[in-house]
Amino acid sequence: MAVYNLKINDSFFPIDIDQNTPLLWVLRDTLALYGTKYGCGIGQCGACTVLVDGLPIRSCSIPVEAVKNKSIVTIEGLSPNSNHPVQIAWRDLDVPQCGYCQSGQIMTAAALLERIPNPNDADINRAMKGNICRCGTYSRIREAIKVAAKHRTSENQ
Amino acid sequence: MKINRRDFLKISGRGGGGLILSLAVPVHGKIGGLIEDIGQIEFNNFISIDHNGEITIMLTKHEMGQGTGTAIPTIIADELNADWSKVKIKQVAYDPKYTWLEMGTTGGSGSISRTWDSIRIAGATVKKLLMQTAANNWGVDIKVLEVENSYITNLVTNERVEFGALAEGASQLPIPKDIVLKTPKEYTYIVKTLKNRLTEDVISGKAKYGIDMNIPGMVYASIEKCPIYKGTLKSYDAKEAKKKKGVLDVFPIVLPKVIKSKLNSVLSHVDEGVVVIAMSTWIAFEARKLLKIEWEGGENESRSMASLDKDMEYVKELPDVMSVDIGNVETELANSSSRVVEMQYDNPYQAHAVMEPLNATAHFENDSCELWVGTQDAEQTIREVATSLELPMEKITLNNLISGGSFGRRYHTDTSIEAAFISKHIKKPVKLVWTREDEVRNDHFQPYLRNYLKAIVSREGEVIGIENRAISTVEYASWSEKWEFFYAFPNIRCYRTRVPTLLHEGAWRAVGEHLAAMSKECFVDELAHELGKDPLDYRVELLSREVDLGNPKDLPEAVQRYVLPRRDLAWQRQLDIIFYIKKSKLWSNQTQKGKGRGFAIHAFGSTICAQIAEVSIGGDLGYCVDKVTAIVHCGLVINPHFAKGQIEGSIIWALSALKYGGMEVENGMVQRSNFHDNKVLRIDELPEIDVIFLKSDERPSGLGEPGTPPLAPAVLNAIFNASGKRVRKIPVTKKDLL
Repeated sequence: MAVYNLKINDSFFPIDIDQNTPLLWVLRDTLALYGTKYGCGIGQCGACTVLVDGLPIRSCSIPVEAVKNKSIVTIEGLSPNSNHPVQIAWRDLDVPQCGYCQSGQIMTAAALLERIPNPNDADINRAMKGNICRCGTYSRIREAIKVAAKHRTSENQ
Repeated sequence: MKINRRDFLKISGRGGGGLILSLAVPVHGKIGGLIEDIGQIEFNNFISIDHNGEITIMLTKHEMGQGTGTAIPTIIADELNADWSKVKIKQVAYDPKYTWLEMGTTGGSGSISRTWDSIRIAGATVKKLLMQTAANNWGVDIKVLEVENSYITNLVTNERVEFGALAEGASQLPIPKDIVLKTPKEYTYIVKTLKNRLTEDVISGKAKYGIDMNIPGMVYASIEKCPIYKGTLKSYDAKEAKKKKGVLDVFPIVLPKVIKSKLNSVLSHVDEGVVVIAMSTWIAFEARKLLKIEWEGGENESRSMASLDKDMEYVKELPDVMSVDIGNVETELANSSSRVVEMQYDNPYQAHAVMEPLNATAHFENDSCELWVGTQDAEQTIREVATSLELPMEKITLNNLISGGSFGRRYHTDTSIEAAFISKHIKKPVKLVWTREDEVRNDHFQPYLRNYLKAIVSREGEVIGIENRAISTVEYASWSEKWEFFYAFPNIRCYRTRVPTLLHEGAWRAVGEHLAAMSKECFVDELAHELGKDPLDYRVELLSREVDLGNPKDLPEAVQRYVLPRRDLAWQRQLDIIFYIKKSKLWSNQTQKGKGRGFAIHAFGSTICAQIAEVSIGGDLGYCVDKVTAIVHCGLVINPHFAKGQIEGSIIWALSALKYGGMEVENGMVQRSNFHDNKVLRIDELPEIDVIFLKSDERPSGLGEPGTPPLAPAVLNAIFNASGKRVRKIPVTKKDLL
């Protein structure tokens, strides 16, 4: 057991937990931040993606000890009013079907656009292929990322 | 309160002023009994208008990604001419008093198609009541009124009044006898693309799925389950597990035989296992790894896919039930001037791999149980949980949450029974979560279907007879042989034989249609090639005459009840689609080297989906699906965005199974465990997908599943076209193309 003061979504959360606990379960069971989802537990499906110091990380496969001094952003903290360009694009294109994978898709997409502001299909495929969608919304995800990229570019101008 | 007995409507006032319309939508085929008992039937408060004009539509359908929770209210709001921004959609906790109601089950691509009449009548009835109230208040005839956006305008004086002001008065009026429904030209919301009501919560992370439940005082459970179907728990040692910090209890879950005998053997199959109770999901998962368990493997312990293959081969010449006998196949087989073309097709077990691992939350207290779970059939779940607890149904409350994908798996009541059992044992609220490994290994799989198909080709080069020996691991999937309904061969014989299953089974997107379509559409394609005919032209030829079914009363009951009424429509639509494809020049026989095109067409109820798959040979898997064009006839499309999403999703679902599906089983145990070995399609494998809906104003006939069955045969036919190699099974691997 160890005591942490985790920085999540710009707030601090003091917790006392086994240092091997994956970040995913700290978020869900300890902090009731349910937006980050459990899908596989082995980093294969991407549903648990959060940003750790801006990088997309599969929170099911990283112990809380490893992120104790990092800045963590979950879907709940991506933007104040679901107005991150990725969220806006997701809303405008009505991307989700069942929605369960979408937190992870959005977080991975947000990280992609920080790294590659104008991704092409190959960039999108490479970045997003770790995020599974069983409902098959892939074509909408791709389109929404391109729309988000356009808005980001015009925002930054 | 007034009752309309013909349409099963009730109108009443609501507290605080307003109107409630209550609705009963009888399940297909049970209307007779309902009419007699109508006084006893409780109706579902369905549409409610309060004095502020807020319209609440109650939803008992399960939201699993198909958008029914938006589409059904869309239809009602359209008939009502309501302001969509004033419509609130409320998911209601299911109640056992809503018996026999269509509104309690979600599946079979039937949510809109089977409620289409009832919900339009409901919307139109409320509108007429509001109009009559306004007419009465103004002292005019209803003819001079206009209704738009929740307002009724008196066209004589230009006065207008909002629905809310009229609702109380409307609830006092007699239910109008003559309701006029809108014609398609008058729709304002239907055929538009209204947004999915879930999207806002999903993108903010607020959407609450079953796995996100949090009840005060709740503990967490996970079950180490028997890895062999029908295996039993012999002994276990929990010493190490109990030592782990945060573990509260460990005990077995074994349903008593007398309870098991009363439960639905398909829906309510619960594996034996050992339950871990802990302070968190993670601790429960980890503690399971510390258990030492001995299983009694049972009858499936020595079985494998290799032994199943032998079992099927063994019964090939010992067919069980003859399900279709048209003409005289025996005579034609004996005719030495004909030749016989014989093929075997294998459509194996398929896993679901739903995105949200299975779970249920239960609180058993004072001889009653409350459940929180995403389920496709709340009524069925309540019934089975009540049976398992030996309680009356009234003692079970079910809160139906949205799910992260169902695809048939969430029809099954196993997780709810488990959670209720656990809560009763520990006397606490509990959230039970399956791991992904549990979800893969203890799935209720799509059954295995093998077809041995024979075609008798006359000396003149015509196929004059078909024999289909369908061998399956379950009963319910194998009635869809489909040879007897559309392609008019003069002699057709079908057999249906069962072999014992290795794995527990259940509904999987498109169920028996996915199973039957592959062999049918591949075999017809092979025959077209054998006869030197274009695959579309050959199908038109086969569809140009009616199959002589003889006396319909001799057909299986399920066929008489469900298939025959839709056969004519499905038949016409298949022809319409093929003619459309030819006219639009969507199909071509010209291909480049190393590339191929394949066609398949299949009916799911009255919805027809045809697909043209374009394939290239080469790459990691030996082949690549480049493009799929889907042409769909589903009657009226309610929401084009959702509709396209369902077809795209169905294609991706089927393509996953074609590339990575099936299942390995050794010593009774499923050999895969997670997404690394039970692979599914990812974004970088997405083919180009074009979806075309034939324009139609006919009643909507369902879209959740029809896109799945044609994919496998279209791709297999394309692979042949590209490579000359016939692959007669899925999954298709590189080895198959060598």
